[in-house]
Amino acid sequence: MLLEVKELTRTFGGLVAVRDVSFGIESGEIVGLIGPNGAGKTTLFNLVTGFLPPTRGDVQFEGRRISGLLPNRVCHRGIGRTFQMVKPFGNMTTLRNAMVGTFFRDPDPRRAKRAAEEILEFLGLARCREALAKNLTIADRKRLEVARALGTQPKLLLLDETMAGLNPTEVADMLGLLREIRTRGTTLFVIEHIMAAIMAISDRILVLHNGGLITQGPPRQVANDQAVIDAYLGERYLIA
Amino acid sequence: MDVMLGQVLISGILLGGIYALISMGLTLIFGVTRIVNFAHGEYLMLSMFAAVMLSQHYGLDPYVATIPIAVLAFLAGAATQRFIIQPLLNASHASQIFVTMGLSVTLMNAALMVWGADFQSVRTPYEAVVLPLGPWSVGVPRLVTFLVALGMMAGLLLFLNKTYLGKAITAVSQDRMAALLMGIDVNQVYMVAFGVGIACVGVAGAVLVPIYSVFPTVGQYFALTAYVVVVLGGFGSMLGALAGGLVIGVVEALSGYFISPGLKEAVYLLIFIAVLVIRPTGLFGIVGSEEMGVK
Amino acid sequence: MMREREAGERRAAVPAGYFVAFGIIGVLVLLPHVITTPYYLHLLILVLLYVALSSAWNLAGGFAGQLSLGHAGFFGIGAYASTLLFLNFGLSPWIGMVVGVLLAVVAGAAIGYPCFRLRGPFFALATLAFGEVLRVIAISWRDLTQGSNGLSIPFKPGFANMMWQGKEMFFYVVLVYALVAVGIVWKIERSRLGYYLIALKEDDSAARMLGIDTTRCKLYAMLISAALTAVGGVFYAQYVGFIEPYSVFDVNQSIQFALISIIGGLGTVFGPVLGAFIMIPLSEMLRAAFGGAARGFHLVLYGIILMAVVMLLPQGVSQELKDRYKRWSRARQSAISRRKGQADAT
Repeated sequence: MLLEVKELTRTFGGLVAVRDVSFGIESGEIVGLIGPNGAGKTTLFNLVTGFLPPTRGDVQFEGRRISGLLPNRVCHRGIGRTFQMVKPFGNMTTLRNAMVGTFFRDPDPRRAKRAAEEILEFLGLARCREALAKNLTIADRKRLEVARALGTQPKLLLLDETMAGLNPTEVADMLGLLREIRTRGTTLFVIEHIMAAIMAISDRILVLHNGGLITQGPPRQVANDQAVIDAYLGERYLIA
Repeated sequence: MDVMLGQVLISGILLGGIYALISMGLTLIFGVTRIVNFAHGEYLMLSMFAAVMLSQHYGLDPYVATIPIAVLAFLAGAATQRFIIQPLLNASHASQIFVTMGLSVTLMNAALMVWGADFQSVRTPYEAVVLPLGPWSVGVPRLVTFLVALGMMAGLLLFLNKTYLGKAITAVSQDRMAALLMGIDVNQVYMVAFGVGIACVGVAGAVLVPIYSVFPTVGQYFALTAYVVVVLGGFGSMLGALAGGLVIGVVEALSGYFISPGLKEAVYLLIFIAVLVIRPTGLFGIVGSEEMGVK
Repeated sequence: MMREREAGERRAAVPAGYFVAFGIIGVLVLLPHVITTPYYLHLLILVLLYVALSSAWNLAGGFAGQLSLGHAGFFGIGAYASTLLFLNFGLSPWIGMVVGVLLAVVAGAAIGYPCFRLRGPFFALATLAFGEVLRVIAISWRDLTQGSNGLSIPFKPGFANMMWQGKEMFFYVVLVYALVAVGIVWKIERSRLGYYLIALKEDDSAARMLGIDTTRCKLYAMLISAALTAVGGVFYAQYVGFIEPYSVFDVNQSIQFALISIIGGLGTVFGPVLGAFIMIPLSEMLRAAFGGAARGFHLVLYGIILMAVVMLLPQGVSQELKDRYKRWSRARQSAISRRKGQADAT
């Protein structure tokens, strides 16, 4: 079990943002996380990656406790993450942004640069390597976010709504990229609202509602789950 | 109780009143805009010079002069915000801090040009009058200053809580983006806040003239203390400015008495650093508000 | 102007940049033989001193984003450490410099570490208070520092005493100091630390998620910055021969370091260089031209110019020059290709 979450809870004063959530992620999986807005998905990501300490419960990665570690230590353990509101280093070029990621593995600037160029090539960003990150389109910024995280060579990559704001072609491209990333050995944990995308790519889906995990399972099963339909989907979702 | 110690305490409290008076305008401005205005002391200095001028040329008693000075100060504050601060609202902290620094240098040296470096003062009939309070004594000008500080605090609290403009100012200081979305004209609020804040400084300047001599660099001496008071008391909080002022005044008086007059500044500066590190919102500030607008 | 070409050509091609850099250094080395007027040499020494001090400040303030207004504290620690050791124990200022650097590093860690999580203006205020605390202590601790009377360094020329007759040797020493300081910043900028500093300044959370220990990086920047600043304090003490709390622990000194970097360009290697070459001669010129007229007039002008530059060129002069160069070369490129197109058409 690569990532194991046990009874994870986080309260803010009287508000319970995440409630007794337990699940596991195996190496090599692509696991989706869906749920209505305010369900606690990003909070869950923040708990796993160390931006928030849990009120109760435990997170273990590769058998070792990571709950309570700071984000940079979590990165050292092998977890990467993108943010829902993309955070490019605006005044740096795309290439340099990617280098900040690859520097994690290698302090030598020339090797870090080469590794960054390979990653940009892989993500189709090579053409904008000299552009300032703040001038990129939203789709490219989302890809840069992934590129940076990949630079640290994570074993587990958490993607927070990487496809929001993309048109259908861009979504399809991103799906292809994600599959390729998984093939190359990174496990993926993905928050997404675009149903077609998440259903198409996930091996398993977790459904969060009001902070609690209401169900988990293969996409077909989740799409047909009445509780999920009531809480989120609105109607039976047809999987092609 | 030791009579000397009691007197030290009383002068500390009265000094605290002075610091509170100077800081109220600053806490309002800093609470709303989150910009460290390095020229703050210079506005105090200019108000003091204005009181001196009005006294020398028109025979106006400084306490009477507070009214015209407050009006002038309001206009000066609003103009500063509109023409100097507003263009830089989205610029880096460095730019914001340094434009006020340039303003400070300009104002201080303009005063030097106009009035020279000599100490100036205003003689009033009541400046040496002392009221007996048991075995201790209380100077009248300092007592008046203390009462003015209380009055200003009450006035500002009324303004902030009972008037629409005041509530808009409070809203902007708590969450600029939300206030904007509520339809509040943030730039206008900033102008009013700056204007009111500097007007408070104007009143402080006029009221302090019977106590202190005036010279171009007098503002520098008070400015840092004002920031200490504002941070300690919690920026944006009028009650905090009073409480913070009193604490600093008493600490300064006691440090001068027990440790050494030379080191009393060091004591409250260290307290300042400690407060910043441990609880930046100060005694009465809203926890987390130090994060707002400061990215 | 020499500076403009330097800033522009550096990006053209690396070999050209190195040629220009060595050329300029060569010119600087020969300068004392050309400029023999003590006043102008003194001015150059001041400029180079501030090149180094502002570059040091820029590491913490520009690269790491920690706007310190208390760097005079490190400057004064360097000055007082080496001077006290020299006066009381006859210790060479070169060794006193090491002691001063160590003390400054400790002070830098002491003030930096707890204060790093303070945002912009609060960090500035905390460091300002730090500088002031040191000044007050220097004034009060009369047994150690002679208080406001200051300390005079007796003139005993010799390399070991870091004192010389005339200004030439001082010029060479400060030139080396400036080259070392700028060199260190240059090296850091292209290293992992440099990238990490700019990243954490742009977005702290994103930087952390990429494995960056933001606190440690800021600390490194602060410590190197403090160390370099203390060296400047030692040089100042030896050059001027007299130190007192009001001049070495002066808030205005701290402001000057920051100001020069901001005018020149925060977070760039050559910003402080440009800034120093502009600001120091400027304030001297103003003082020479207007200082006699009315007291303070030249400073009024200085303040107004400062406000104007901050408001009109928020990114600093070096960025403005870079942008103009880009626009000029792009215009030139399109003019060339247009002419080429016309030539091909005919």
